Amino acid sequence: MDLNKTIMSLCLAKGVSGDESEAAELALSMLKEYTDDCCIKNGNVIGHFGVKGKKPHVLIDAHIDQIGLVVTHITEDGFLKISNCGGIDRRILAAQQVVVMGNVPVNGVICSVPPHLETDESKVPEMADICIDVGMSKEQAEKVISLGDKIVFAPHCEKLLGDRISGTSLDDRCGVAAVLRAMDIVKDKALQCEVTVLFSTQEEVGERGAKIAAFDIDPDIALAVDVSFALTSDDSELKCGKMGKGCMIGFSPVLDRGLSEQFREIAVGKELPYQTEVMSGTTGTNADRFSVNRGGAKAVTLSIPLKYMHTPAEVISVSDVENTARLIAAYLEEVK
Amino acid sequence: MDKKFLKELCLIDGTSGDEDKVRGYIISKIKDFCEYNVDPLGNIIAEKKGAGRAKNKVMVSAHMDEVGMIVTSVKADGTLTLSAVGGIDPRVAIGRPVAVGDSGICGVIGSKAVHNMTDEEKKTAPKFTTIYADIGAADKEEAEKYVQPGDRVYFKSEFGITEDGFVSGKAIDDRFGCAAMIEMIRSELPYDCTFTFVVQEEVGLRGSRTAAFAVDPDFAIVLESTTAADIPLAEGEKRCCELGKGAVVSYMDRSTIYDKELYRLSKETASENGINWQTKTMVAGGNDSGAIHISKGGVRTIAISAPCRYLHSPVCAARFSDLEDCEKLAKAMLEKMCQL
Repeated sequence: MDLNKTIMSLCLAKGVSGDESEAAELALSMLKEYTDDCCIKNGNVIGHFGVKGKKPHVLIDAHIDQIGLVVTHITEDGFLKISNCGGIDRRILAAQQVVVMGNVPVNGVICSVPPHLETDESKVPEMADICIDVGMSKEQAEKVISLGDKIVFAPHCEKLLGDRISGTSLDDRCGVAAVLRAMDIVKDKALQCEVTVLFSTQEEVGERGAKIAAFDIDPDIALAVDVSFALTSDDSELKCGKMGKGCMIGFSPVLDRGLSEQFREIAVGKELPYQTEVMSGTTGTNADRFSVNRGGAKAVTLSIPLKYMHTPAEVISVSDVENTARLIAAYLEEVK
Repeated sequence: MDKKFLKELCLIDGTSGDEDKVRGYIISKIKDFCEYNVDPLGNIIAEKKGAGRAKNKVMVSAHMDEVGMIVTSVKADGTLTLSAVGGIDPRVAIGRPVAVGDSGICGVIGSKAVHNMTDEEKKTAPKFTTIYADIGAADKEEAEKYVQPGDRVYFKSEFGITEDGFVSGKAIDDRFGCAAMIEMIRSELPYDCTFTFVVQEEVGLRGSRTAAFAVDPDFAIVLESTTAADIPLAEGEKRCCELGKGAVVSYMDRSTIYDKELYRLSKETASENGINWQTKTMVAGGNDSGAIHISKGGVRTIAISAPCRYLHSPVCAARFSDLEDCEKLAKAMLEKMCQL
């Protein structure tokens, strides 16, 4: 598989929490390359690998949804009032191009306050004051846009220097790509246990897709493949990993210490670059749901370092995606 | 107005002092329809022959430059510090893709993850002193192979015109004016006149100053874009002017008190020709008129502007009907001013 191409096409697909179908259908078509036994259930993409019924049952998850906005009201002038769908940084919204996922996709721009009206440029607008201009009257807008329609930042993805890629929804489409790449690496290998791949919905609003899928799948071991913070000059080394330095293996009271250690040993043994990401409580990822699913499962986070999280200008290094995939693949070959 | 020309012009990158690509494009479109020269600052001064000789020398002007940013240094981690070229609210600069330098290297202006911000940081808008561009370089050494201080940085956004005539994209200010003038030069005009495509408006009306000196006109028409605030955040007179209500002619802004007779004439002319006309409900903004009307012994000047939302941001919004009204009014006024 062409990893760059996979990441970039996943990144351009639209899929805000609760309306993931475009991205999910694309991910399903990619997963079909590796298994016929796959489907979309309650929005989640689920694919089966390995030996059915053979323990341990390993779940490999990446979330398919992305942050966005939701239409809450259409004003008399045809502007859209909105609320957030996931963790939005209000500071970056002004003058962003967006696509409203209405009956047909509608391009729009988030209103910004013109300078002659602005007395204080240090202010950040409240969500209640933010609105979207779709260039339509109320009557025109109501024909194609309904309350509840989701809004994405205009999908965008391109290559930067070296192996860096920037795009609108790399969180967590690069995780989806890492899982697909891992399945690509092991496609001709005989796995010794049951493996289920999950591309889950609604992570950004509270890991809800992961909760219902985990109940159905009932795994013994769960790998949550997501993104985490890559260091930038305005952030703290204490909170961040480094871009290009490999997968960030999670260590936390809510994760299984033995599983985290096992991944570290595999990385060392296979000479794969890795970093440790130590958290002191819940991880803010689907792993938090997996570990307490039904009677419990051993969970670990495998995170790809990403800069500028939750902005339309997220940046990753493709080498980190490849190394995360290799780490997952090496684990799958080992687990019995 | 040719929608294709408008789109192509808006998508060209050309901030103040870096208008070469815009100039090249314009020359390619007008060279067969007029005589032109390029002055030392980079202004295009085009002499258009009309059907007859004009009583008065009239200059029609639009600026080629757009707002943007400039690289001021390369940091140890390979990111680039920036300064604004022209008036940009730093709040519209973060969280978006940019193109850096003549070759348009892909980059982004990012922002620390919202998850890691303090409550105070979440409520604090960025400043140009704290934001930076990232081209994916691993370190300063790698970045310096591609970028030098002084390179320009441009917002990247899509340009679109809906069937209904809603126009959105960067640099409508003032590539719309350039597109209208290209159209006029390529058409038959009743009288001789001079068109100037000028540089450096956004950094202090600098190109128009030398162009007006060189042309030495009796009258001038400035084709511009002006702030429309017909959005839910503004009411009453604060809306300034509105999309879809036609060409905007000001009586006064922060750079010029316009010629009273011409102001009244523009309204009459619009009415005679069935052109939508509006004025601004605030004294705000400014344009090349500020330099042109006090050139040499004085030039009687009017500005005809397209109402435009989100001016100086990566995505401006306008109505095609307003752009056409501006072009029609400019043509009608040009004819009258030639013989006043």
